[in-house]
Amino acid sequence: MTAHDTTLTATPGPASTPTPATGAPRRSLAHLFALEWKYELLKTLRMPAYAIPTIAFPCLFYAFFGLAFGAGRGAGPTTMATYLLATYGAFGVIGTALFGFGVGVATERGQGWMLLKRATPMPPLAYFAAKTGTALAFSAVLVLALFALGGAFGGVALTTATWLALFATLVAGALPFCALGLALGYVCGPNSAPAIVNLFYLPASFASGLWIPVPALPGWLQESAPWLPPYHLGQLALAVIGVEPRTPVATSVAALAGWTVAGVVVALWAYRRDTGKTYG
Amino acid sequence: MSAKHDRRRRDESTDPGEDAGRRRRRGVLLGAMAAGVAAALTAFFLLLPTPAADGQGDGAAEEAAPGRTAPDLPSGTFAVTGARVFDGERSLGTVDVLVEDGLVVAVGSADSPLRIAGDVPRVDGTGRTLLPGLIDSHVHAMGAGPEQALRFGVTTVMDMFADPEWAAALRAEQAAHGNPGAADVFSAGYLATVAGGHGTQFGLTVPTLDADTDADAWVAARVAEGSDFIKIVVEDGHTLGREMRTLGADQVAELARAARAHGVPSVAHVGSRAEAEMALAAGVDGLVHLFLDEAPDDALVAAAGPTGDGEGGREGFAFAVPTLTVLASVAGVGAGEGYAEDPRVADRLTRGQVAGLRRSFGIEAEGEMANAHAAVRRLAAAGVPILAGSDAPNPGTAHGASLHHELELLVAAGLSPSEALTAATAAPAAAFGLDDRGRIAPGRRADLVLVAGDPTADVTATRDLVAVWKAGLPADLAKPQEAEPEAAPVIEPGLVSDFEAGNEASLGIRHWAPSTDQRMGGQSTVDLDAIDGALRIRGEVRPGFPYPWAGAFLMTHNAQMEPADLSAVGAIAFRARGGETGGGASRVLRVMAFAPALGMTPGMRTVEVTGEWRRHEVPLADLGITDGQVSAFLIGSDVQPGPFELWIDDVELVAAEGAGGGRR
Repeated sequence: MTAHDTTLTATPGPASTPTPATGAPRRSLAHLFALEWKYELLKTLRMPAYAIPTIAFPCLFYAFFGLAFGAGRGAGPTTMATYLLATYGAFGVIGTALFGFGVGVATERGQGWMLLKRATPMPPLAYFAAKTGTALAFSAVLVLALFALGGAFGGVALTTATWLALFATLVAGALPFCALGLALGYVCGPNSAPAIVNLFYLPASFASGLWIPVPALPGWLQESAPWLPPYHLGQLALAVIGVEPRTPVATSVAALAGWTVAGVVVALWAYRRDTGKTYG
Repeated sequence: MSAKHDRRRRDESTDPGEDAGRRRRRGVLLGAMAAGVAAALTAFFLLLPTPAADGQGDGAAEEAAPGRTAPDLPSGTFAVTGARVFDGERSLGTVDVLVEDGLVVAVGSADSPLRIAGDVPRVDGTGRTLLPGLIDSHVHAMGAGPEQALRFGVTTVMDMFADPEWAAALRAEQAAHGNPGAADVFSAGYLATVAGGHGTQFGLTVPTLDADTDADAWVAARVAEGSDFIKIVVEDGHTLGREMRTLGADQVAELARAARAHGVPSVAHVGSRAEAEMALAAGVDGLVHLFLDEAPDDALVAAAGPTGDGEGGREGFAFAVPTLTVLASVAGVGAGEGYAEDPRVADRLTRGQVAGLRRSFGIEAEGEMANAHAAVRRLAAAGVPILAGSDAPNPGTAHGASLHHELELLVAAGLSPSEALTAATAAPAAAFGLDDRGRIAPGRRADLVLVAGDPTADVTATRDLVAVWKAGLPADLAKPQEAEPEAAPVIEPGLVSDFEAGNEASLGIRHWAPSTDQRMGGQSTVDLDAIDGALRIRGEVRPGFPYPWAGAFLMTHNAQMEPADLSAVGAIAFRARGGETGGGASRVLRVMAFAPALGMTPGMRTVEVTGEWRRHEVPLADLGITDGQVSAFLIGSDVQPGPFELWIDDVELVAAEGAGGGRR
């Protein structure tokens, strides 16, 4: 995937509006969070280098593998197009999270943006919340785009409840990868981040059975798949559409929770290490 | 820059009213946008495709059941009303039969008709006859036999020779799930024969008996493997034009006694009247063939009676399974081909079964059917139970279908239709100790066959099947879909191999492969080498298999031994010479042709070769090919044991009708 390029001029300043003369109350915390999120969204939307690949690539892959290659094929108890809708959905949301966080944070650290933000009244949490919210928003759009492709061209037909459940699972499933992306973003430098994130993202997604179904992978890959976090999101998404998961749902949920915690811990450690540096 | 500055100034007006107004407007705008997005999302989700109402979605779909049960017939608990009932021993007249949970629980009678509950599904038997499920007392069941048999109303088969592990697995399946799609199989497992005797040529390694073998231990081993009965082979081959070693009378007697001691029946394969008499006198419980070579005499009939020696001998009459269908086929008078065309069975026969019915043994045994018929009559009159068995799937027979043919032949031999029906139902159940089947009586399994018409008047009415139940489960009588066979490729005359570039050939699977009797348990060896543009076939013929061979094998169409059409070919020709082994002296070379019409035995011709290259031409007619269908050729050694070396080159197919006729 391509590198990010944050341009300072595209980003308006921090949130507070100076109106001392009127005595109007300060804006609420919620408003701060909302504002940070809005501008983070705007910034991201104005970066085609992020926005387009994040949404377009999973759609393209799905069109090739799920629609073209999978036409008329079955996969387990369902069609290939439906099966791959779940797994490419997982692939896509993982990408939005990893790149939004992994590359975004690394780049912004490199530009000294963190220092600037620390100097403002904006609570640090708002920064992360905004990034998470952006990742979730892009994930939502991506998943809806995949749904449209699958429903219109792939013959995918699920009950409305299943569609909604799949949407919720996939979008929520971006969260563990926000944490992992955050860890990567704090550990890597801006020049290495895109490469390292890709190096993790692409092979791990393939080896987790997100591109081709797990049973189609060689035996030794099948054995190692449960160690990879994308595998568990894929299994949860498949469970929603009625494919018997290879590992129990509880295990997958626990695994993703574990990876989230691990990501946050590593990010915190790297954040502390970062203090006093301008470049990580 | 200044315009922007002004705009910012304007935006940052300090008028609180305007500020509040702007916030309100912005709030309304945001609210409207949020509502719009929510509405769009709702519409999107509602518009996504859902599975059609009949459940054909992409969610977890159910696999269609394989269709082994007939959907419109009741199963488990039902009643057959208004049918003529033959209970296995006699006709009961038109009465009702009630089945509950796969067992017959009540059979009506003229004085006490059945009262059947209203919710029990009924099958209308008006104008039809209900029989017990048929039992075929002599089959070779390995393969699709049991499934094919069930399609013809045969619910139980007695298998005469099988791999005990296969039989044990099948028995387990029957015990666990009842195996509703196939007939139940009772098997002898390994048969009792001598080394090199009949039974050793079928590719299964059999534990043979010799003079020192402890018969009791041998039988104990079979029973431990799960054999339901003991099959003893007495066959010296003389009626088939061969010479075979076989068990002696003492060995047979020991085996029969041992089987009795272990609580299982013993049966004997015999090939002649003398062998039948020997086996009966030795005390076996039954014969599974009658014979063609001589008419029955009093000694034979007497030998079939109780031996009464008080030392583990047979206490009652022996039983006999005439297998008239296969005797007729071996005698060359089999009506298998005509039978295959009977419209009542034709559409249930698979292509393989039709081919089997048309196949012949390729030999004509000594004797005549009249002798077999006389044996049936005399033994039946003396009180010997006659059992119906087809010996399927030998040439001229087919699983299931041939049992009906056997009933017709038994009636032609002199039994009444009812006696023939008993031979396929109650008699085998009694003979083999199967207490849960063979008769329509309370407490027995609901193995039932409903046929149109009255087989006690015309026994061929058994072929007109309306319904078959096995343990109360209806059977699917339709044969499974078969893929169209590939058309036999037409082979034109021409060069087949010049061996310039190895074993290559221009037809069939494209290369000559080494082939020996090792695949049938023999010990011969062969190597093929293409040297200097010729093929050297070198090896050693060793004893072990009764019909040894070793040579170069070429399939003409594909590895499944399907035939190619060689009707345009008149002869196979090649240059050949003998090699150094044997001192360059003349050797004998054999050419064989395999064809569906020839069954398991290829046509063959021997050719003398010398140390010099000479061209030979062997007409296909000399190899037994009359219809142009050839599956494979083999060029190799003769039957004499010892090392051999042959060279062949320029193998070609010569056109028929004398075009380009050969030089010898």
